Amino acid sequence: MPREAEPSLNERAFVVQALQEGLRLDGRAFDQFRGLDLKFGDHYGVADVTLGKTRVLANVSAEVTAPYIDRPFDGIFTITTELSPMASPAFEVNRPTETEVLLSRLLEKTVRRSNALDTESLCLIAGQKCWSIRVDLHVLSHDGNLIDGSCLAVVAALRHFRRPDTSIEGETLTVYTPAEREPVPLSWLHSPFCITFSFYGEEGEIMLLDATLLEEQLRVSSCIISLNKHGEICQIAKLGGTPVEAVSLIQCASAALTKGKELSTLLDQKLAEDSKRRDKGGLLAELSAENER
Amino acid sequence: MPITILQPAPVPVFNDTRNDHASASDSDSDEGGVDLEGDISMMRPSKRARRTEDDSIVTPGEVITEDPQWMRGHGTYTTRQAPAIVSSVAGTLAKTNRLLSVRPLRARYTPEIGDLVVGRIVEVQAKRWRVDVGASLLAQLPLSAINLPGGIQRRRTETDELQIRTFFSEGELLVAEVQQLYGDGGAVLHTRSLKYGKLRNGVFVAVSGTGGGGGVVRARRQAFTLDLGGASADDAEKIDVVLGVNGYIWISKHVEGEGAAAETSGPGINRVEESVGLNVYSSQNDDIPMSTMREIARVRGVIEALVEHGLRVDEDMVARAYHEAVEMARGDGDGEDTLYLGGERGRRLAQALVGR
Amino acid sequence: MPLDTSTYDLALLRVDGRRWNELRRLDGQIRTQAAADGSSYLEMGNTKVMCVVSGPSEDKRRGQTSASTATGSNAADVAVSVVVAGFSSVDRKKRGRGDKRIQELQTTISKALASNLHTHLYPRSTISISLNVLSQDGSLLAALINASTLALIDAGIPMTDYLVACTAGSTSSYAANDDRADPLVDLNNQEEQELPFLTMATLGATDKVAVLVCESRVQVSRLEGMMAAAADACKGVRDFLDQVIREKGHKMVTEGTIEKGASMAIEIDA
Repeated sequence: MPREAEPSLNERAFVVQALQEGLRLDGRAFDQFRGLDLKFGDHYGVADVTLGKTRVLANVSAEVTAPYIDRPFDGIFTITTELSPMASPAFEVNRPTETEVLLSRLLEKTVRRSNALDTESLCLIAGQKCWSIRVDLHVLSHDGNLIDGSCLAVVAALRHFRRPDTSIEGETLTVYTPAEREPVPLSWLHSPFCITFSFYGEEGEIMLLDATLLEEQLRVSSCIISLNKHGEICQIAKLGGTPVEAVSLIQCASAALTKGKELSTLLDQKLAEDSKRRDKGGLLAELSAENER
Repeated sequence: MPITILQPAPVPVFNDTRNDHASASDSDSDEGGVDLEGDISMMRPSKRARRTEDDSIVTPGEVITEDPQWMRGHGTYTTRQAPAIVSSVAGTLAKTNRLLSVRPLRARYTPEIGDLVVGRIVEVQAKRWRVDVGASLLAQLPLSAINLPGGIQRRRTETDELQIRTFFSEGELLVAEVQQLYGDGGAVLHTRSLKYGKLRNGVFVAVSGTGGGGGVVRARRQAFTLDLGGASADDAEKIDVVLGVNGYIWISKHVEGEGAAAETSGPGINRVEESVGLNVYSSQNDDIPMSTMREIARVRGVIEALVEHGLRVDEDMVARAYHEAVEMARGDGDGEDTLYLGGERGRRLAQALVGR
Repeated sequence: MPLDTSTYDLALLRVDGRRWNELRRLDGQIRTQAAADGSSYLEMGNTKVMCVVSGPSEDKRRGQTSASTATGSNAADVAVSVVVAGFSSVDRKKRGRGDKRIQELQTTISKALASNLHTHLYPRSTISISLNVLSQDGSLLAALINASTLALIDAGIPMTDYLVACTAGSTSSYAANDDRADPLVDLNNQEEQELPFLTMATLGATDKVAVLVCESRVQVSRLEGMMAAAADACKGVRDFLDQVIREKGHKMVTEGTIEKGASMAIEIDA
C-alpha cells in the first residue's frame, strides 16, 4: 500500500518551531483560511470548492425509487465520497483508507444525521415512490483540510440543486421536465459547516485553522466541529491524539461559530450571485410553480 | 453551578458471591478477601491520586515522589513542570539505592543477558533464525551461535547456510541463553553449550512470564532433573525440566549425557567434540515408556496448578509439588494414575504447599 | 418519550431513577482471560464489554491493520478491533466488519490510547487490543475506552495515566428554556436516543481531553456545562478503575505472588 511520504525530521522540527514562534509556512495567521473559492457548474447541483490547493467537487443527482421498507415516509439521501489516486498516490480505488472512512462518516454525521435535508419532503407516494438524492463527492486535489472543503462543497451543491417538479393526481405521479416546469429546490432546514482545528506542541497548546497537508501530517491531534449559523453544534469529533485542555476546546467551539457564520455568509452570497446569473430575463419567479411558504 | 459527581454505587452483595464462584479456584483466603475489600474502600484515592501510607500498590498516573533526590527507573516517568516521579504501570515499588522503579503486576518477558530461555523458531532466514521467546520482539539466533553436529569447530560455510533447516526449522523448540541485547530490547541467543539446543522427548507449557501472576522466577538453577525416586509406581525414572525465564517450560524424558544433566555431570568444554552427538538436531522422539509419559503429564499438571494458584515456579517448588501430587493421588484411592490436578484437587495441592 | 421532561423538572429524577450527576453501577474485573497478556471485563450499567490485549509483540503481517496508527516512526502500533455481538442490542442486527461506524470507533480508541501509552518503549512491535461488546445500553465508546485502559494496565504496558471516558448529555437541545437545562452524566440507551450527548475521555483526573465525540445537535452554549459534567464523571470512573486495580494488586501481595513493595512513606514524608 503506497503511503503518503512522511515529512522528514528536519521539516518536522522546522515547522513546529516556526509555529511555536508564531509563524506559519505560508505566512497566514493561525486562524486564517487559505483563499476560498466556490463555483457552481452550468447544471444545478454542481459545486466546486477550491481551498488553497485543495479542490473538491460535489455533484448532486436525483431519481425516483421505492423507499426503504422500514421508512415508508422518508426519501433516500446518500453521500458517497471518492478519494481517487488523482488526489494523492496514497488513495486507491475501491480500498477506502482511514482518511476516506473518517471523511464519509463525518459528512454523514454533519449533514445527514443533523437533518439538514428534510428527507420527509422527498416522499412522493408513501411506501411506494420517493426521491433518492445522491451526492457524489470527488476530491480532485488534496493539500490538507479536505473535511472543511468537502463539507462546504456538499452543502453548497445541495442548496444549489433543483429537482424536477412533480404532481400527483389520484394514483398517477407526473414528473415534469425542466422545459415543462421549472425545477424546485430541496427542502433545506439548516446549513452545517465543518471547522477543523489542528493542535501542535507538547500539550496541544498551539491551535491552527485550515491546515495544509504538511501541517496536517505534523499535528499532534485535531478536533472537527460542525455547526450552523444559529450556533447549533451538529457534531464534534476529537478522535484521540494528544490530550488537550478542556478550556481550549471550548474556545475552539466559539471560534468555530465565528468561522461558521463567515462561511454561511459566503455561501448565501455565492448562491445569490448564481441565481442572478441564471435569472436572465427575470422570469424565474413566474416560472416557478411553488408558492411562497 | 457547582458540580458534584457522586461516587458510583457500590457493587451489590450478590456480585461478591458470584465473583467467588467465578474465581472459586482462587485459593483459600476467603476471610482475607473480605477484609481486603474493606481496606480498599477505606483508602480510596483522593481527587488527585496521591500515595497513601499503607498502600504498597502504585497505579499509573500516581505521583510516587516529588523529592528530586530520587532517580527514575523502569515503570516510571517524570513530569515536566513540577519535577515529580510518576508511576506508569500498576505494581509494587522497588528501591535500589537512589533508583526508584515499579515492578508491574504482570508484564511480558523482558530479556536480560544470561537468561535461560525456551523459544520457538518462527522464521528461518539466510544466516539466522528468528525465535519467539515471549518478548515484545522476536529474538535472533545466528547460525554462528549454535554447535554443529559432531561438535566440529569451524567457520560457517555457505553449505551450512543452505542446510540451515536441518538444524532448526519453523515451529521447533529450543533452549538457549541470551547472549546480547540490542538497544531496542531485542535479544540475541546462543546455544553453544551442551545444555542448550533442540528440545524433544517431552511437552511444552507456557505460563505467563515474569513479573507476577505466578511466573517463573530467575533462580540459581533453571534446568534440573526431577528424580522421581521411586515415588512413582515401579521404576525410578527421571524427568528433565527446563524452566525458561520467559515463562516457557519444557518437560521431557531424561536422557543420560544430554540435556539438563550435562550441566552438572557433563563433560567440560574441551570434550565438546566427542559428546555433541550427531543426533542433537534430530526431530525424532526416542521411545518413551508409558510410565514416563504419565509422570511428564503429572509434572505439567503440577506446574499449571502452581500457576493457577499464583505460586512461584522454581526447582524446589516443582519438586515439592510433584511429590505432594503423587501423595494426593495415592491418598485419594483413585490410584496413582490419576493425573487430574484442576479444580478442587489443585486447590488442595496449593493449600498443602503453602501450609507447610 | 422515555425521558418525560415534565417529570424530570418536578422530581429531578431520570428514567432509571438516577439524579443528574449519578453514574450507573460500575463493575470491573481484570485478568479474566488466563491466556492473554492482559484482559478485562467492564460493566457500566447494562453496557458490558470485554477486552483482551496481546502484545507488545512483533507483528508479522504488519501494515495490514487499517486501524493501526501507521506512524512509521519508532514506536509500537496500537491495533484495535471492535466486535459487536449480534445479541448485544434489542434488535438483532448484523454488522459487517467493514461497518464505518465500527471503523471510526476503532480509529478513535487506537489514536487515543497511542497518545497515552508509552509506545516508544516498544519499537517495531504491535499492541493489539480486541474488544467485544456483549451488551449495549448507551455510553458504548466510553465503556470500550475504560475497558481497554483496564486491560492495558493488566498487561503491564506503561502509560501516562488512566484514560477514562464518560458520556454527558443535556436535558434540552434548543435555545428555549436555556437556563433550565441540566447536564446529565453516563447516559443509557433511552436517554441517548432522546437527548443530545457527548462522549469525553480525559487523562486521569486532569481536565485534558483526549477524545470528545458529539453526534447530536446541541447549542454551543450548552457545551461547557456538558463538558464540565463529563470531566467530573470521568474522575469518578478513574477512582473506580483505580480501585479495581488496587484490589487485584493487594490480593496478589497477600497471596505472595509478588513481592511487597518498598514503602516510600517513611523516608519521603518524614
